[in-house]
Amino acid sequence: MGTTDSDQQSLEDEIADLEKRLQDAKSRLSPSTAGETLPPHANDAALHALLLLSDSALPLGSFAFSSGLESYLAHHRPLPPSASQVPSFYAFLRLSLSTLASTALPYVLAGYRNPEDIETLDNDFDASTPCTVARRASIAQGRALLTVWDRSFKTQYASSPRTTNGHAETLETTGIAGVEILSSFSTALRTSNHLNAHLAPLWGVVTNVLSVPLRDSAYLFLFSHARTVISAAVRASVMGPYQAQGVLAGAELQKRIRGLVEEGWNVRVEDAGQSVPVMDLWVGRHEKLYSRIFNS
Amino acid sequence: MNIIKLKIEFFNMTFTSPFAQSASKPGHGSIVVALLPPDTPVLSTISYQYPLKLIAPDPLPPPESDFKDKTPAPRLVHTVFLLTYGGGIVAGDSIDLAVRLDAGTSLVLLTQGSTKIFKTIDPSLVSRQQMTVAVAPNSALVYLPDPVQPFAQTAFSQSQIYNLENEEGSLCVCDWVTSGRSARGENWDIYEYRSRNQVWTSSTDANGVQKRRLMLRDNMILDKNGQTGIPLSDRMDGYAVFGTLIIRGPVFSPLSKYFVDEFEALPRIGGRNWGDSVLPELTPKEQRRADRQQREKIDGVVWSAASVRGFVLVKFASREVEGSRNWLRDMIKEEGSILNSFGERALLCLK
Repeated sequence: MGTTDSDQQSLEDEIADLEKRLQDAKSRLSPSTAGETLPPHANDAALHALLLLSDSALPLGSFAFSSGLESYLAHHRPLPPSASQVPSFYAFLRLSLSTLASTALPYVLAGYRNPEDIETLDNDFDASTPCTVARRASIAQGRALLTVWDRSFKTQYASSPRTTNGHAETLETTGIAGVEILSSFSTALRTSNHLNAHLAPLWGVVTNVLSVPLRDSAYLFLFSHARTVISAAVRASVMGPYQAQGVLAGAELQKRIRGLVEEGWNVRVEDAGQSVPVMDLWVGRHEKLYSRIFNS
Repeated sequence: MNIIKLKIEFFNMTFTSPFAQSASKPGHGSIVVALLPPDTPVLSTISYQYPLKLIAPDPLPPPESDFKDKTPAPRLVHTVFLLTYGGGIVAGDSIDLAVRLDAGTSLVLLTQGSTKIFKTIDPSLVSRQQMTVAVAPNSALVYLPDPVQPFAQTAFSQSQIYNLENEEGSLCVCDWVTSGRSARGENWDIYEYRSRNQVWTSSTDANGVQKRRLMLRDNMILDKNGQTGIPLSDRMDGYAVFGTLIIRGPVFSPLSKYFVDEFEALPRIGGRNWGDSVLPELTPKEQRRADRQQREKIDGVVWSAASVRGFVLVKFASREVEGSRNWLRDMIKEEGSILNSFGERALLCLK
C-alpha cells in the first residue's frame, strides 16, 4: 500500500509538473500565435469597395488628364532646357491638391452626406467651374463613374442588403435610397440639358452607396488625383516610375492628404472656391499648347 | 398735369423700393434705376450711410451709335461712383449695397482709385463688402472698377451677387485684386482675401412656384489653408494682379465674341516660327492684334477666355497692375461696343 501511495503521489506530482510546463509553454507560445486566429474584420464590404475604386484599372479614363500639369510645364520651361523639372513638379502637385481640396472636396462630402441633392450639387459645381478644360475633364470622369456604376456595380449593390458598419454617417442614409437616386439621376441625364454629371458630387454619392466610410472616400478622392497627376508626370518624362511610386508612397503626401481632408471637413459647398488663382489660367490655357499629350 | 403724374410715379417708386429701410444702417446703401414712362431712365433712389458714399454725376447721352435698330435704347446713361470715406476699408468695416436695374435701364458703376484695404490688428476681424444687384430683363450693367488693393496684414471678404430673371439681362463686370503696395515691397502679405461673384436666375414654373438656380459662382479664396507649405506670394507664381471678367447677355454679345475670338487667335504656347513661310501682309486689324500680343508679352499678361453656361468668363493676370489695366482697356476699346453704348466714362477706371 505504501508503495502504491507513494506511486500515486509521484504520479500526481508528475501530472502537476507536466500541466505547469504545458501552461508555461503555452504562455510562451501565445504571443506569436495571435495571427493564426482570424481577427474579426470590422468592415469587409467597405474595404472591398475601396479596393475597387482605388484600382487604377477602374475605367474612368483618368489617365487622359494631367489636370493642368502639361500646361504648367509649358509655362515653366527650365533654364537651361536640360535642367530637371522635378522640383517644379513637386510645387505643382501641392498646388493641384490644394486646388482640388478647395474646389471639389466640399462637393464630395456634400454628395455623400446628402445624396438626394445630387442634381443641385451637380448644377452648382458646374456653375463653379469657370474653365472649359477643367469642366470637360470633370464631366468625362463623372460620366464614366456613372457608367461603371450602372454596368458593373449596380446589380450587386441594388440587390444585396446593405452591410452595416460602425460609421454613423453612412447609416444616416440607406443604400437603397442611394441606388434609386443614382438611377433617376442617370435617367435624367439623358433627357435634361441642365445636368452634367461632374465627378466630385457623384463620387460622394457612389461611395456612400458602396458603404465606404466618408473619411476614406474623401482620402481616396484626393489620393486618386495625386496618383493621376504623378502618373501624368511619368508620361510627360518628368520622372521615372520608381521615383513616382516613391512620391506616392511618401509620408509627406499622406500627411498632406490627411490635412486637406481635416481642413475641408466642414467647408460648405457655398464656400468652395479657387485657392490657387493661377491654376485656372494654366488649366484654361492648356488649349493653347502647341503640342499636347493630355486632354487637360 | 403730366408733371404731377410723373412726380407721383417718382414718389411711388422711391417709396416701394424694397431697399429703402436698409439705408439707415451704417455702411448700407441703395441704388435704383427706374424707367419713367415712356422711356426715360432715372436714378430714382440713391442713398448711403457712412462709411459708404455714392456719387452720381449727371447722366450722359451715349455717343452716336446705331440706335436706329428696333431695340429701344435708353436715352441717358446713368453712372454712380462707389466710394468709401478715407478711400478705403478700415478693419471691421462692413459695406452692403443693394442695386436694382428696372427693365429697359442701364447703369455704369465705377470706383475712384483702387479700393484699399487697411491693416487689421486682429486677423480674425474680417472687413466685408457686399453688393447685390437685381438686373431686370432688357437692362444692362457695366461694372469695371479699379482693383481691390489689400495692404499687408489685412483680412477682407467681398461678395457680388447678380440676380437675373429667366436668365435675361446683360452684365459686364470685372473683379480684380492686386498684391498690395508693391512700391513698399508688399507681395500678397495678407492674412486672408476672399471674393465671390455669383449670378443667380429666378423663374416661375408652370405651377407658379418661384425657383432660383445658380448660374455662375466664381470664388477666390486666399488664406493659409491648402497644406501647400508654400507662402502665398509664391503660390501666385510671380503675378501681382489677378482678375475675372464676367460677360453675359445680348448687349455685350459682340464683346463676348471678341474675347473668345482673340483667345482663339493667341499664338500657340511652345510653337515656333521656323521662318520657312512667308509672313503675309497684315490687315490693320491684324496689325493691332499683333501689337497687342507683343505688349502682352512685354507686360507678362496671361489670360484665358471660356464660353460656359451662356457666359464668357475671362481670367487674367500680369506681373504689374498696369499690365492688366492696359490690356483690359485695349481689348474693350478695340472691340468698341461698350464705348458706343455707354460712353468713354465706363472705362474711367481703366485709364
